[in-house]
Amino acid sequence: MSAAAPRAIVKTLGIGAALICAAPALAVVVLAFTRAPDTALAATLFSDAVAGTLGLMLVGGGGAIVFGAAAAWLVTLCAFPGRSALEWMLALPLAAPLYVLAYAYAGLTWPGGPFASFPITGFWGAAFLYALGAYPYVYLAARASYASSSVCALEAARTLGASPIALFTRIAAPLAWPGIAAGGALAMMEIAADYGAAQHFGVTTLGTAVFRAWYDYASPELALRLAALLVLGAVAFLMIERWARGRRGYAGGSARWRPLPRYTLSPFARWGAFAFCAALVTLGALLPIAWFARGALFIDADFTALAGPLFTSLTLAAGGAALTLILAFIVAAAARARDASGRAALFAANSGYAAPGAVIALGAISLIALAREAGFVGGMGFALSIGALLWAYAARFAAAGAQPIEAGLERLSSGVDNAARTLGASAWRRLTGVDLPIAAPSALAAALIVFVEILKELPATLILRPFDFDTLAVRAYSYASDERLQQAAAPALLITLAGVLPIVFFTRAVTKARAGAHA
Amino acid sequence: MILRRAAIASALAFALATAVAACGQSGATGAAPQAGGVVNVYSARHYDSDKAIYDAFTAKTGIEVRQLQSNADQLLQRLEAEGDATQADLIVTVDAGVLNRLAEANVLQAVDTPALREAVPARMHDAQNRWWAFSKRARVIAYRRDAFTGTNTPPQSMNDLANPRYRGQICARSSTNPYNLSLLAARIERDGEPAALAWARGVRANFARDPQGGDTDQLRAMAAGTCSLSIVNHYYMARLAASADPADQAVAQAIGLVFPADGVHVNVSGGGVGRYAPNRDNAVALLEFLVSPEAQAMFPAGNEELPVRAGVPVTPQLEAIGATNFTEETVPLPALGTRQAEAARVFEQAGWR
Repeated sequence: MSAAAPRAIVKTLGIGAALICAAPALAVVVLAFTRAPDTALAATLFSDAVAGTLGLMLVGGGGAIVFGAAAAWLVTLCAFPGRSALEWMLALPLAAPLYVLAYAYAGLTWPGGPFASFPITGFWGAAFLYALGAYPYVYLAARASYASSSVCALEAARTLGASPIALFTRIAAPLAWPGIAAGGALAMMEIAADYGAAQHFGVTTLGTAVFRAWYDYASPELALRLAALLVLGAVAFLMIERWARGRRGYAGGSARWRPLPRYTLSPFARWGAFAFCAALVTLGALLPIAWFARGALFIDADFTALAGPLFTSLTLAAGGAALTLILAFIVAAAARARDASGRAALFAANSGYAAPGAVIALGAISLIALAREAGFVGGMGFALSIGALLWAYAARFAAAGAQPIEAGLERLSSGVDNAARTLGASAWRRLTGVDLPIAAPSALAAALIVFVEILKELPATLILRPFDFDTLAVRAYSYASDERLQQAAAPALLITLAGVLPIVFFTRAVTKARAGAHA
Repeated sequence: MILRRAAIASALAFALATAVAACGQSGATGAAPQAGGVVNVYSARHYDSDKAIYDAFTAKTGIEVRQLQSNADQLLQRLEAEGDATQADLIVTVDAGVLNRLAEANVLQAVDTPALREAVPARMHDAQNRWWAFSKRARVIAYRRDAFTGTNTPPQSMNDLANPRYRGQICARSSTNPYNLSLLAARIERDGEPAALAWARGVRANFARDPQGGDTDQLRAMAAGTCSLSIVNHYYMARLAASADPADQAVAQAIGLVFPADGVHVNVSGGGVGRYAPNRDNAVALLEFLVSPEAQAMFPAGNEELPVRAGVPVTPQLEAIGATNFTEETVPLPALGTRQAEAARVFEQAGWR
């Protein structure tokens, strides 16, 4: 068999997978420019919305990158008290949806709350919240990158007398740059897609403007236009990110792996590192959890009634994550070809990530309506509802899977692949024997992110699910939307706790999966 | 090794999800064919107490109630996409504006029965009978008691909130909230757009802070001294008063409500039968049950909403806050829907975010 045939298969599969992921977002863009809105946003509202979204991506996303990259560096390469516990706890804020964090901080810091002297609200409050809620995206991706970094460059720099800070800024950060950039891009797109937290804090963003147009102006057409802007913005943003990554990428290096030696810090720095990481965990997870636990105390929280939603959430998240990861891996593998079609597949698959889930669901439901009119499907029965839901999850979160996997594959030095080829390994053997093991830490990070994302996902689940089919997020939302935050506390706690177990499992797996960990 | 284990775990999980989907499907098709066996409710109401009311309906009639809860506008998108293939029998939601939008989108069918007519006042249903209200909420003035003592009485009309004497004293929630949109829509219908704009500008000028949070957050901010006036739905106060959290009770004690004598803004929850309802008769039966004396008494007991039917007993909490005897404004409720987009624009012009 010639080498061209499998490559063509990978390419075809990649484009197919990308189309599946991109279809709802594409439908939104196409619909947006075929249906003319009968109304328009006021110019000031539009400029506020654009400024709000860009500002929050910059400040909140920038904060997430600094927090996440620094925390990953500390736990991976430095020794300090509590390091091994903090290593997995640092991922915990990922388990709490942004809107749940917003409710917790409103209760904690608004008038009448225990920390009312530090009110977290408005633009800066939202930026702070986003930085806290989104830094784990960067942390996980950066940690996977550090963990798969060759120790040689670091050792050489150390031998040459580099300080920990110089080692971080000049060697480790550039080596981990693909991971940091991929995680940062995820964090920023997640921020762009948020609706609940911005709404609660009174910040005008493109996300809130979409719903203002849709609900208040009763104009789905205008909402689609604004959503299309978010989708196109996401694609442009990814191109910039890719360009930035390309300029700073350092592939491979040596293939010698050893356990990473950890820096011994001065006592002051040691406790500083502890305080920094502990503060992130406390503010991002422990404090909100404690607040909800307190709220749950005042009602007779019926956790047994949540067993059904918990099971629904876990199965949906597992099924959705499996489908999303399969599609994401195919896309990422196709994108390695670095030709136009591979790159297009990656962009297409990523296009859904910055669009609010409700908009993706709207795109999916519009396509289903077309299919129904053409006679392919009937009404939204149970099977079609579940299918549509899994599809929407893949469309929304393919980026969360493809970004880290692709970044992981990018680290694969082409020499290794060429060596495998010279030794006569088939394409399949190279995939399973070389690509997959090397992408494993990144793939596990991706699996974790997608699983937890689906656990938290609300709007698409709300609109596409079948009758009497509640997830924990739906339950939490039902109460919270009615301002019954004490009742919302129990499902919100369960979402967070359900996310904790996979986080612990996967963070440990990433550590173990590091080549050379057993050496 | 780890990866292989993870792959196997994922495959198992996916198989499980598929199996669950398959089981659920067979269950669903098993229930459907039996005539009179089921009614499918698309609901934009998120109250546990609704489940209790549906259970009472099932106990009485043997008809199973299946629910799909979502946002009203998303339910509308789904209804439009499903067309005549939809399973939706009854669509229920809060806010008259939304009910009107459902009717205008032609996803409801007209229903007119003696039981509905007997229970629901004329102002509380669609002129073409496509939707009927079953519960009410009053949007009223809340004031901090210690800010208004002696001759300094709290404002007695919504109009007063625009008075410059209350500069820096009002906390408000965002204008994107449907309750605020409907409040302003009613003013536009009654007083005309210029007057409504002047009012919104006046209230905006009296804000103590930028709009944030929900109604309960405004009540907490008032009790904490951030401001002394706000506009809230009555049941949020009743709930704080009934809360087990002493901090909530303290908030409720610090605050009083004014049900304006010149007409209280009242909004409703209601429902309509789906245009393509596969179980139309069951949907009508459920709608009639919702306005029956038995179910009407469950609304105040469940979530402090007010019944639309006259002479139905309410809770002590509702009596304590004065929600039992007040004069309603006379604006026809469908106007809350037809004027909604206009209200959003007026809020924007007024700078009320």
